[in-house]
Amino acid sequence: MQGVLEYVPGNSILHRCNPVTKLLLSLSICIACFMSGNVAVLLGFLAVDLAIGYVGGIFEKALTLLRGMAKVCAFLFVLQVIVVRSGEPLFFFVTDRGLWLAVRISLRLMGASIPLALVLAVTQMNDLSNALVAVLHLPYKYAFTLTTSIRFIPVFMEELAGIMEAQTARGVEFDTKNFFRKMQLILPLCLPLMITSVRKADANAVAVEARGFNLRTRTSAYKTYPFTAMDALVAVFSLCALVVGFVC
Amino acid sequence: MKDMVVVKGLSFQYANGARQVLKQLNLTVPEGGFLGIIGPSGAGKTTLIQAMNGMIPHHFPGDYYGSVTVDGRDAFDSSVAEISRSAGTVFQDIDSQMVAIVVEDEILYGLENFGVPKKEMEGRITESLELVGISDLRYRSIRSLSGGQKQKVAIAAILALKPKLLLLDEPTGELDPASSRQIFSILRELNETQNITVIVVEQKIMLLCEFAKELGVLSDGELLFHGSVREVLSHSAELEEIGVQCPRVATLSAAMAAAGIGDGRMSLNLDEAEEMVRRCLA
Repeated sequence: MQGVLEYVPGNSILHRCNPVTKLLLSLSICIACFMSGNVAVLLGFLAVDLAIGYVGGIFEKALTLLRGMAKVCAFLFVLQVIVVRSGEPLFFFVTDRGLWLAVRISLRLMGASIPLALVLAVTQMNDLSNALVAVLHLPYKYAFTLTTSIRFIPVFMEELAGIMEAQTARGVEFDTKNFFRKMQLILPLCLPLMITSVRKADANAVAVEARGFNLRTRTSAYKTYPFTAMDALVAVFSLCALVVGFVC
Repeated sequence: MKDMVVVKGLSFQYANGARQVLKQLNLTVPEGGFLGIIGPSGAGKTTLIQAMNGMIPHHFPGDYYGSVTVDGRDAFDSSVAEISRSAGTVFQDIDSQMVAIVVEDEILYGLENFGVPKKEMEGRITESLELVGISDLRYRSIRSLSGGQKQKVAIAAILALKPKLLLLDEPTGELDPASSRQIFSILRELNETQNITVIVVEQKIMLLCEFAKELGVLSDGELLFHGSVREVLSHSAELEEIGVQCPRVATLSAAMAAAGIGDGRMSLNLDEAEEMVRRCLA
C-alpha cells in the first residue's frame, strides 16, 4: 500500500482544480456508489473513476488501485455468496440473490474507495489542509491532524521496517509462508511501534509549536484557493453523479 | 555587547522526573557568540536547549527555579511563540520536525504562522534557500532528500524567520562526516555574516574545536567548564574522566603543558600541533 496516497506531480485539469472541489467530486462519487443499487450505474461509476485517473494523468495508478481493490472485493464476493442464504438456489449452496448481492457489494466498494485515493494523488496535502481551513473554515487543528496523519504513514512504515529488521537479525522468521504465523510474529511489534510513534508525534508537536503553530489563523496561508470555471464544471458533474446515485 | 541568552541559577526537574536534570546552571552567551555544548548523554544538554526556546516550562512542565532570558524576554513569562520570534530551534529528530511534503511549503510554514507580509515571503524563501545553498531543492519532495539535505531544509526553514539566535540540538547526529562539516560551515557563515548567535549541542568535539568560539561542558546537569575552546580543552584530563573524548592533539598539548614542555599553548588541529612540536624540538 506504500505510495498509494503519495502525490503525483503534474499540471492536469485536476491538478489545477480547487482542492475543495476535488474533495467534493470524490465524496459525491463515493456517496453515489453507496446509494445506487443498479449494476449498470455502478459499472458506470467505475468507468468514471478510471476517467478521473486518465484526466489526472495517473491512469496507471488508477489501474493499480483497481487491481488492489479487486482482490479485497473478491474476498468479499465469496463471503457474501457463502453467507447469504435467501433466494433461489442455483448450484451447490449459491443462491441467485446471494450472487446478485455479492456483485453489487463488490462493485460498490471498488467504485467508492478509489476516487478519494485518486484525488489525493493529484492534490498536495498542504494545499488540501490550507483550502479546508480557508474555504470551509475548518479549524486549523483538525486540518493539521488530517495532513499529519497521512504524512506520517510512510514514516511509520519505515519505523516498522526498522523494527522488523532488528527482530530478523535476532532470528525472528518474518518470511514464513504461514499467514497466521506471520501475524503472530508481527502483532507484538505494535507496542514498540506505538511508543516510537507517540515519541515522534510529540517531537513534531514541539517543533510546530516553536514555529508558531498557535499563531496560525484562517488567513495565514500564502497561497490562495480561488474557484474557477473548471471548478464549477466539476462541481456540477459531482452533483449530477449524486443525483444519479440517489435516483437509479 | 548585548547578551543574547542569560541563564541564572537554573534548576529543573521534569514533572514525574526522578532527579534534577539541570542544577544551579549559570550561563551567558553574548550577541554574535557561537557556543558549542558538549557532554555525556543524560547530562541535560537537550533540556538546556528546551529551556532556552521556552519549551521548558511551557511544553514540558516541572519544578523550575532560576531564570532564562532570551533576547531580553523572560522564558518563563513569555509564550513559546514570543520566544520563537527571536530564537529558532533545529531539533534532534530530522524527520519529525518537518511539517510539509515539499521543501517550499516547509519554508513557508513558519512565515505564514508568524504573519510575515505576503509581499515579503518570496524574498525570504529564496534568500534562506540561498544562504544554506539548496536553491535547487525548492520544489523537491522532502521524503526524497538525503539526511544532510533534510537538515539543511530544517535550517533554512528557521532562517527564513530571521532569528537572532539559532539553537541546534545535535544537528549532525544522523549525518556523515562530510555533511556534518558542511552544516557547521553554514553555521559559521551565518554567525559571521549575519551576526546570528549560535548555540549548538554536539557530540563531535572536533567539529566544535574547529568552528565554535566558545565551549561549554555539561555533566550531570552542571556546567563544569565554560570558556574559549582552548581554555576548556586544557582540562582534557577532567573531560576524559566524565566521558568526553578530547581530540588527540589537545590531549598531547595538555600533557606537554603539564610536563612543563613548550609554551603551554593548546593546539586544536594537526597543523598547530605539528608547529608546536617543531618549536619544542628546535
